[in-house]
Amino acid sequence: MAQQLSDDELSAALAGDPSGFSAVYTVISPAVLGYFRARGVDDAEALTQDVFVDVLPKLAGVSGGHAGLRTFIFSVAHARLVDYRRRAERTPHLAEYDPLNDARYSASAEDEVLGSLGGISDTLARLNEEQREVLVLRIVADLSLEQVAGIMDKTPGAIKQLQRRGLSALRELVTEKDHAAS
Amino acid sequence: MTGTRDPQQDGTIQAMLGDSGLESAAELRSALEQLRAVVPDAAPAPRADLAALLAAGTAGATGLAAAPDAATTTALPTVASAKNDADESLPAGVTSLAGRRGRKRRLAIVGGAVVGAMTLGAGAVAASSEDFRHSVSHTVGVIFQAPGHGGTPAPERVQPSPSTIPALPAPVATPGHGTPGTPGADPSGASTPSSSSTPGAPAAGHAPPATPPAVGRDGILPTPGQRPGAPGLPGSPDLPGGGGNAGKDLPRVPGHITPTLPGVVPTKAPGQP
Repeated sequence: MAQQLSDDELSAALAGDPSGFSAVYTVISPAVLGYFRARGVDDAEALTQDVFVDVLPKLAGVSGGHAGLRTFIFSVAHARLVDYRRRAERTPHLAEYDPLNDARYSASAEDEVLGSLGGISDTLARLNEEQREVLVLRIVADLSLEQVAGIMDKTPGAIKQLQRRGLSALRELVTEKDHAAS
Repeated sequence: MTGTRDPQQDGTIQAMLGDSGLESAAELRSALEQLRAVVPDAAPAPRADLAALLAAGTAGATGLAAAPDAATTTALPTVASAKNDADESLPAGVTSLAGRRGRKRRLAIVGGAVVGAMTLGAGAVAASSEDFRHSVSHTVGVIFQAPGHGGTPAPERVQPSPSTIPALPAPVATPGHGTPGTPGADPSGASTPSSSSTPGAPAAGHAPPATPPAVGRDGILPTPGQRPGAPGLPGSPDLPGGGGNAGKDLPRVPGHITPTLPGVVPTKAPGQP
């Protein structure tokens, strides 16, 4: 997100010109990857690339400039996430042996430092599904209330309410965790 | 990572907190910044098909060299091609599948309704008319009679089979056939005329076919009423003698037991008076 899409690249991509695809991928794919990671997808990179393989040839019909492009890509990502969840419900969960999950070993200090991601995703996992989606889309995907409303097929007021409830629930969880840790 | 946020993105979090009236919640703010840190700084290396798609543009070679990408994702092309096919067939396939599924379900529902209605109708007809029941039971009896002569028609022939059994003593007990109570046997004969005729045929080998129905009535019906009737008694002691003849016929064997019982009862009856 450090980079922004230039207007030339944007217009090229929205015209269906392949020369803009690379810029779109470079700029937006980190946010998509973060979105999938924050939602706890196993293979977030593969799903991200699925999204872009799906999205890039269809950019010609997108309107709305930067915001429209982001909304379009994240609506596809949202649909892919829903597909992934449904598929994951039907398939059995195969878990490889992961030494990090082995409770007989103590966690390394490095993992604990880097484990902030695991901490926040654990906390997020205790939220309501829709609240979690709204928070992740708002913060990770950096979308506005209206864009999130378009993606989740709700009114902006409903999204705002979900965001407020999600934030207050998250606050309770975070303070409770801090009290438990200290 | 959290340190490199630019003020515009922090503004999003600030605006969210302000919308919800939670500006002062420091823990929540740090949690949201952690959540934002999930976003990596660099784009993931594209796999083969995506790299090809990106390389299609002239500007695709700026930051993403095609060769190292192909090298890092050598294991992926099969998966990628499969997903490509699924993606291409998705728009057409989804609609057609949905339509077909609906049609199939509709066909199943209509078929089930038709079968259920036919079953109900047949059941109503069977419940309303006795003729239908008789004809059905008759046809069923005929069907099951043809393959198995020995065992299956036994419940149908409960009445005629004792009639055949006394038919064996019939040559001995010919005086017993003086009671022409034919009306008693007519309903049984009316229900299963064919079945009554068929046991009559093997009985014809031992005795004239006219005698078996006459003595058969003595065997079943009149025994309680005609206890003083002595001809019933000589019929029963003749049974062991006739049992030798009956042993040649297979279906008679279960029938032996029932005539012996009435035979015991009349022996006491004449003893009392």
